[in-house]
Amino acid sequence: MIAVLTRLWIVAQAEDKPIKDLSPKLQELVVGAIAFAVVFVFMSKWVIPRVNKLLEDRRGRIQGDLEKAEEAKTEGQQMLADYRQQLAGARDEANRIIEEARRTAEAMRRDMTGKAEQEYQAILGRAQDEIRGERDRVFQELKSQVGQLSLALAERVVRETLDKERQLRLVDEYIEELAGLGRSAGNGSRDGGES
Amino acid sequence: MTVGLLGSVLGVAFEPPSTRDFVFDYLVGPVKIFGIEFGLNYIMILLIIAVAAMLLVFYLAFRKPTIVPGKFQVLMEGAVEFVRTQVVIQMIGPEGLPFLAFLSTLFFFIFFGNILEVIPFVSFPLNSRLAFPLVMALISWVVYNTVGIRRHGLVGYLKLVMFPPGVPVAMKLPLALIEFFSVIIVRPITLTVRLTANMIAGHFLLAVFFLGSIVFLTGVPYIFAVVPFALAVVLVGFEIFVSSLQAFIFAVLTASYLAGAMAEEH
Repeated sequence: MIAVLTRLWIVAQAEDKPIKDLSPKLQELVVGAIAFAVVFVFMSKWVIPRVNKLLEDRRGRIQGDLEKAEEAKTEGQQMLADYRQQLAGARDEANRIIEEARRTAEAMRRDMTGKAEQEYQAILGRAQDEIRGERDRVFQELKSQVGQLSLALAERVVRETLDKERQLRLVDEYIEELAGLGRSAGNGSRDGGES
Repeated sequence: MTVGLLGSVLGVAFEPPSTRDFVFDYLVGPVKIFGIEFGLNYIMILLIIAVAAMLLVFYLAFRKPTIVPGKFQVLMEGAVEFVRTQVVIQMIGPEGLPFLAFLSTLFFFIFFGNILEVIPFVSFPLNSRLAFPLVMALISWVVYNTVGIRRHGLVGYLKLVMFPPGVPVAMKLPLALIEFFSVIIVRPITLTVRLTANMIAGHFLLAVFFLGSIVFLTGVPYIFAVVPFALAVVLVGFEIFVSSLQAFIFAVLTASYLAGAMAEEH
């Protein structure tokens, strides 16, 4: 800076009147001051208030947005918690329903097993009765056939030895016996007996 | 001098830049109003253009300000924010915010006046005319002294200025004189001279290197023009930096003077 001034001074000595060249002119001072005033008024009345308002608005906006975001976040968390709770409730409900279904199924199974058992017993009883009846019938039939066979055999053995009267009586008894047999035995048994 | 010598050696007419470059003839006028000559010359036209450009730029940036700003708005907001944070808050603190408009005006007025120096076809920094820095330095002087006097009273302010604390008794008187001299008299002068001299020097530098390039281009081997032209281009960048730096320094110093005037009494 000093170098520049020195140089200017040297130039000033050498040349016409450089100090007058560089010195301020009154009109520059006046117009410069007016220009500065104009810019200052514009700045202080228009630019700075606008910028301040803008920054304030932006701050408010950002703050509002942040608050909104915070609200949304808490709301979201609340909803999430609700959903979780509902989900847990639903799961409990599902478990309860499954448990109930299982119990019902168990009961039904037991019920049906019982019924099947009863039926089985009934069928078994009936079968046993039938078997017993059949056995009795076969036994009876067998008894009569054994009687006939033994009689036939006995007849052959004693044919010659029996008198007429006794023979008749035996015949009667035999008939009677046959009649008794016929009452108690069925038709099939006689077929079996003759073969 | 050397450039002129070189020019004469090369046999090319070279006029070294001189202080004449800072004087312009009236295109219209002059008219005398209250004994002051008013006329339209290059400087006045540049001043009008600079002020109009400033008003236009800010008007366009903040005409319809949006919460989510466009590029241009961001740029200008950033500029104002720069003054707010780096000048006002940094130097004075939040209580200096009422001076934001004043300090922004200083900053942008000086910056727009300076940057003209690197605008093609303008190439003249307004603030190389002593009058404009002087006006702003005087306004700054009036403002910080007024603030000091209003805050502390005339006597209180002078006491604040002249008697810094912790000074040995023997040194009180000479230091008081020095402080008074430096704060009340020297400050506006240094503000003015710093800015003006920087702009004059910048204009000279650019003029020398660009005119030198032209001389070499019209003279013999063109290749000699490469170095001065390259330097001239670099200097344009440098002068852009100086333009903003000087605007910043002027605003920061004014802010610091304001901060000193607003300081609590010791």
